[in-house]
Amino acid sequence: MSFGRLPTDRRLLAGVAGLVLAALLAVEVLFPANPVTDVGAVLVTIVADANYVSSVLRLTVPIAFAALGGIFAEKSGVINIGLEGLLIISAFTSLAAAAALGGGDPNQTQLWLGFGIAVLVSTLFALLFAIVCIEFKADQIIAGLAVWLIALGLAPFASKVIWGQVNSPTIGTFNNWTIPVLSEIPFVGPVLFDASPMVYMLLVAVVASWYALNRTSFGRWIEASGENPKALDTVGVDVRRVRYTGVLLSGFLSGIGGAGLAIGRVGQFIGGGTTMVNGRGWIGITAYLFGNYNPFGAFGASFLFASLDALQFRLQQVGYNIPSELIGIIPYVTVVVVLAFVGRTRIPSAAGDHYESGEE
Amino acid sequence: MRGRTTRRRVLGGIAGAAAFGATGLVQNDTTNVGMVYATGGLGDNSFNDMALTGVENAAEEYDVEFRNAEPGSPSEVANLQQRFAQSSSPDYDLICCIGFVQQDALAENAQQFSDQNWMVVDTIVEADNVSSYVFREQEGSFQVGHLAGLLTTEEFSGGAGETDPDNTVVGFVGGQEVPLIRRFEAGYRAGVAYANDDVEVRVAYAGEFNDPAQGQEIALSMYDEGADIVYHAAGGTGNGVFQAAQERGRFAIGVDADQSVSLPEYDDVILASMVKRVDEAVFQSVESVVNDEFAGGSVNELGLEQDGVAAVYGQGLESEIPEAVKESVAESREAIIAGDIEVPTEPGEV
Repeated sequence: MSFGRLPTDRRLLAGVAGLVLAALLAVEVLFPANPVTDVGAVLVTIVADANYVSSVLRLTVPIAFAALGGIFAEKSGVINIGLEGLLIISAFTSLAAAAALGGGDPNQTQLWLGFGIAVLVSTLFALLFAIVCIEFKADQIIAGLAVWLIALGLAPFASKVIWGQVNSPTIGTFNNWTIPVLSEIPFVGPVLFDASPMVYMLLVAVVASWYALNRTSFGRWIEASGENPKALDTVGVDVRRVRYTGVLLSGFLSGIGGAGLAIGRVGQFIGGGTTMVNGRGWIGITAYLFGNYNPFGAFGASFLFASLDALQFRLQQVGYNIPSELIGIIPYVTVVVVLAFVGRTRIPSAAGDHYESGEE
Repeated sequence: MRGRTTRRRVLGGIAGAAAFGATGLVQNDTTNVGMVYATGGLGDNSFNDMALTGVENAAEEYDVEFRNAEPGSPSEVANLQQRFAQSSSPDYDLICCIGFVQQDALAENAQQFSDQNWMVVDTIVEADNVSSYVFREQEGSFQVGHLAGLLTTEEFSGGAGETDPDNTVVGFVGGQEVPLIRRFEAGYRAGVAYANDDVEVRVAYAGEFNDPAQGQEIALSMYDEGADIVYHAAGGTGNGVFQAAQERGRFAIGVDADQSVSLPEYDDVILASMVKRVDEAVFQSVESVVNDEFAGGSVNELGLEQDGVAAVYGQGLESEIPEAVKESVAESREAIIAGDIEVPTEPGEV
């Protein structure tokens, strides 16, 4: 086994080394006045800053939640590319519900209620998608695109109906959870023990997802449903129910991500253009592909993409003006490289296929 | 599909004829105005809302009726402009195109609908039937830059914020890095440097006007590096800047509208706003149509002198800002109007 894996690992290593070399070369060409060593020193001071790591964790939240959701759906055999749409729906709903409950100035309880309603609505939206895909055997990619496009139109439209404009008014956000004593630890304390509730929820969700997928019979069913549904059916497990659960979980987790972005962080819904979600669901998809359907891998990839983003706008401030558009395409370029050249990510064999019990 | 279009056209024709007939019978002096907003949408608490205020004021004063159209993406702008121009019930007397995003579409549509009166804010479209309104944002930005540069060197506290006199750093968050937003940056940098050459200006562009989470993280990174005051020219992205200011107990400067009024929950951190009187531009153009004085092909440049841009102190903090600072800012305003201070339009020229 180790013998067989060696070439892949080496290829991955070569790929990473190549990317680093290309980055160094780009620095030399783009900023001739600042040699690589200077840039290195700047990078080290930025990355070794607790504020930077906290910021990256916050930016990771919506991406990683979408990615975790995508893992459950796709591993069960239903490719859900509508994650972006689910984020939009839950971001909007959280705001609308909290504002309706609190009359424009909701307190913490009302915010959490709004959060719960948003997660529920996102899950229901995912249920709709599941029915269309599983019951009516719609093409999963087209149905997923529809989820996104519907959300992209529906959320700003509903905003207009409620508030008369595509952007919502501003409301409060969740307070940070500060854990006494532990938050006093240098570096680790402010990053991990004085953070937004969303960050804690994410860390728990990553571990829980990994445990569910790798250590429980439910995880094995999900895996079998995506790899070999017939075998699962043969042992008497209802493939459709497993797939429904997988898709509903994607709605549930994306719901947390979207609501966490809107009322966990910003306290407003912005519906103009690509909405405030702004492509985070798409990056989530690239993150779980890059992470090879492993919750830890997906979290790592989300963290990596978020850290590049946070790095980019810090470098701008010290005069290294890397266009944010260029950083924005990194996730997509990475996923193409990983899928095409490294070849470690393998899509579940039955993903995208319908399964009919008793079908020959 | 084709059948439906034809039917719609026939129906439209009938409706148009009926409307035409009606206007013949009843003397109808109502001025109809179509509003196509920038992609940020209404409720941005700044740019688009100001334009709405302008047309609302006109509707209050004159017999004006207006309809709003909010494009979801830049690609929809051309279509929305055309829809107003093609409409015959009502027949729009003026179509207001808000924002530089309208430029390319308008350049084409102005030619195609040569009988239609258009006005555009924030960019210049050279056509006989278009009246362009542009602002000297750099002048207003110079003013708020001057204010920020003076305050960061002082020990100042008010509302929910305070400056850190050990650090003389200020920040600027831009939306997209386009020439328009660079004018804000250039004026701001020049204003800060005019106040004090030693103040460091940290600048970052978010890349989007609709991503407040990104704006928040950028502003936090600036405050964490010692910035006392962050100025934004980033539409909805900028709302995150205010949130960050409250989180860190520092100050922010708003843009386009007096944001301490439009976002009162942040009036304890908004020192001032660089107000762009988009409302004034819209109002003037509608008024010109009402009075039959519409000047197609004209370019109206509104700077400090015309009150097209101004630094307006925040309603919550105005009384806290030291008089000496306000006096200096007022003096630099006079100097800019008199031409004694040249305000650059490109950050590189500062």
